[in-house]
Amino acid sequence: MSSKRHSILPAVSAGPKPPVHFSSSITIADSALLTGTNLITISSESVIHPRAKLDSLAGRITIGRRCVVHERTMIGAIGTSGKVTETAVTLGDYVTVEVAASIEAGNTIIGEGTTVGVGSKIGAGAVIGKHCTLTPHTEIPAGEVIPDFTVMYSNGMRRVDKRGVADLKNKGQARQIDVLRRMIPSNPAKFT
Amino acid sequence: MAPLNPYTYIQCPCSDSASLGRPSDATSPTSAEADDEDNTFDPRAPRANFSLYPLEYLLYCEDCHQIRCPRCIAEEIATYFCPSCLFEVPSSNLKSEGNRCTRSCFQCPICIGPLSVTSIETPPSDPNLLAPDRAATQHSTYSLICSYCNWSSTEIGIQFDKPNSIHAQLAKIRNGGASRLTAKERKERRKELSHRGGEAAVAAAAAAAAASETSGGQDMDLETQFANLKLFYNSQLADPNAGDNGFSSLGDLGFSSPSSLSRIMNLYTGGKLHDPRAKSKLGAMREAITADEGLLEPDLDESSLISQLHRSDFLDTASSTQVCSQPPNLGEPHLHGAARFNSSLRPAPYLLRTKRSKRCPVCRHIISKPEAKVQTTRFRIRLVAGSYIPSISIRRLNLPGSNGPGAPAILGDLLEPLKPVHFLLTFKNPIFESLKVTLGAPAKTPGRFPSKVTVLCPQFDIDANTDVWDEALKDNDRESSGRSRRRAGTESQFQVEVGKIWERGRNWVSIVVEVVPASLKLEQGQDLLKEDEDVLEIPMFVRIEWEVENGGDDATTGSGRDKDQKEKRELAYWCVLGLGRIKQG
Ligand SMILES: [Zn+2]
Ligand SMILES: [Zn+2]
Ligand SMILES: [Zn+2]
Ligand SMILES: [Zn+2]
Repeated sequence: MSSKRHSILPAVSAGPKPPVHFSSSITIADSALLTGTNLITISSESVIHPRAKLDSLAGRITIGRRCVVHERTMIGAIGTSGKVTETAVTLGDYVTVEVAASIEAGNTIIGEGTTVGVGSKIGAGAVIGKHCTLTPHTEIPAGEVIPDFTVMYSNGMRRVDKRGVADLKNKGQARQIDVLRRMIPSNPAKFT
Repeated sequence: MAPLNPYTYIQCPCSDSASLGRPSDATSPTSAEADDEDNTFDPRAPRANFSLYPLEYLLYCEDCHQIRCPRCIAEEIATYFCPSCLFEVPSSNLKSEGNRCTRSCFQCPICIGPLSVTSIETPPSDPNLLAPDRAATQHSTYSLICSYCNWSSTEIGIQFDKPNSIHAQLAKIRNGGASRLTAKERKERRKELSHRGGEAAVAAAAAAAAASETSGGQDMDLETQFANLKLFYNSQLADPNAGDNGFSSLGDLGFSSPSSLSRIMNLYTGGKLHDPRAKSKLGAMREAITADEGLLEPDLDESSLISQLHRSDFLDTASSTQVCSQPPNLGEPHLHGAARFNSSLRPAPYLLRTKRSKRCPVCRHIISKPEAKVQTTRFRIRLVAGSYIPSISIRRLNLPGSNGPGAPAILGDLLEPLKPVHFLLTFKNPIFESLKVTLGAPAKTPGRFPSKVTVLCPQFDIDANTDVWDEALKDNDRESSGRSRRRAGTESQFQVEVGKIWERGRNWVSIVVEVVPASLKLEQGQDLLKEDEDVLEIPMFVRIEWEVENGGDDATTGSGRDKDQKEKRELAYWCVLGLGRIKQG
């Protein structure tokens, strides 16, 4: 298994090195993959896990403050349309993209405080509101607009989150980031 | 179409007697089978669906020497346990507490995810009215939270004071946070009411009752109503004046007669109310007329519910599965006009699971018994059929002669109609005696599209499932005695010979079955192809014979071996081999 991975890695990183704009307080793992031709912006205190892949070939990628992008995620995947837009993916502040989730490029917007669950897929041009929860393996079709505080279930069911704990959740995210910063060795210099 | 993996299903013999014992209509294929013993088992008969099982599903009774399927097994519950906390629940608790976990195991009412107890950190600027005293004691309230979909019990207004014994706490809280009335509180409330009623005039009392109906009566929950009614009828039964209101001529028959009422109450409460004195009193009594006597007027004004429905989405209403998974809640308001919104669903305690042991229904011997401890998955006794009867695996055979020199056919490929194909059936013997196997298969498969079937070697022996090392030592003898194995890699060199086994191993034998799949071309006037009618299934009758040392039974173990007497055993059953799909058109 590990030998397989090694054979893939160089091929991917051989792609174009994108221009980046990093805040000085971000944490980005050495083995994160940043490719593409457009600008990738990562704002303050966000964490990019190892082997997360950000591809700006189809447009700009902007990641807000205190976001967590987990392993094996794919942000800026070129969708079926293959269209190149000015902004590919925009993540608001306090967004969590969990393991193996993929977000297609094409003016896709994820609102503040939203959690994209494990293995979820978000289609090109979808707009997810603020403080939404996408449960694992949810698929959002391209162009879908999800209102704020929606809980999306993988079977297509929805519910409105009435807890009103957005602030608490953000606080929790900040605390989690504190821990992650100590655990993940950061190497932003590799990408600049 | 999804490729079909070959399969072997075995018909449990219990279904034979069932079909014989029951007269069925003449058109059904099973009835024809009952008439004529030679007729083959039709795997497509509607009844066959209920008697065919994969080998793994079958058990075996060692005393009756018979296969036992899930249909012909008597189950006994060994242990009740909670699937979440794996705590064993004694069956005595079950009667009093119900079939759900009474510890702190709950499922999310929306998505069935497990709920966990989390402390609520009150935000500093809480607009809630109760904020002042809650802020004073931080971390004092808890809620149940679903980590999958973020559902929280605070959404239905339920919070807990302690992080433990959630079940008991939840039982006391109604949705919205109001606490459920305890029996004591109910009594006190009633006392208060009757006290008021006694002082005032009759008219005033009625007015007060009417007022309490609109305010208090509507939130009367099921439990309170039952208690009120029970108390009222009890007092009626005890009241000596109840009899004289002119209807005594109707005697014992009316709804309102005390004796019929006490009979009904006996049905519900298990005889506690049975009062021999009541029998002597005849005559009618009045019905409940106020809320504290248990009368609940239906609230026909549903406009608020309707407007709520107008405002909400379809997804805000609870699905029937969600409603059904709700535990009974005696603290809930009366069923009439009950809304089915997601927002009224309560956390559901986990339903208990069971570990069951299985008995042979004929000889009552246990044939499967799990370890009593919940945490272990081992079995004390488990007589699975797989360790008594040979398993049959199916492989497609590529012969250069018949299939042509083209690409080798793989399993799951569609079968060409009218072109002979060969399948390799491998019988593996699980027992320590050598088996004599006799196969019988109809020349043509039953159904609308009969395929031709030829079992090239219907009779053979399989060697015992001996120790692997014994076998290795014996191997040389075998080679010399002429029972050489064929090598799998060189199978194309061999010709299919009638009456010869294809390959033989330590405890297995492979034989060849030649099949000419039917053409699925529909003639004029024929119905369209039914679901799975293109699947080539061959019924096969398997008869196995083996010898056991006599006195294998416990009583005569020692002497039996000395005498070296052998006892013949046999087992016969139908099985169905699903070989693949036939190409259409
Ligand atoms: Zn038995
Ligand atoms: Zn059976
Ligand atoms: Zn439990
Ligand atoms: Zn849930």
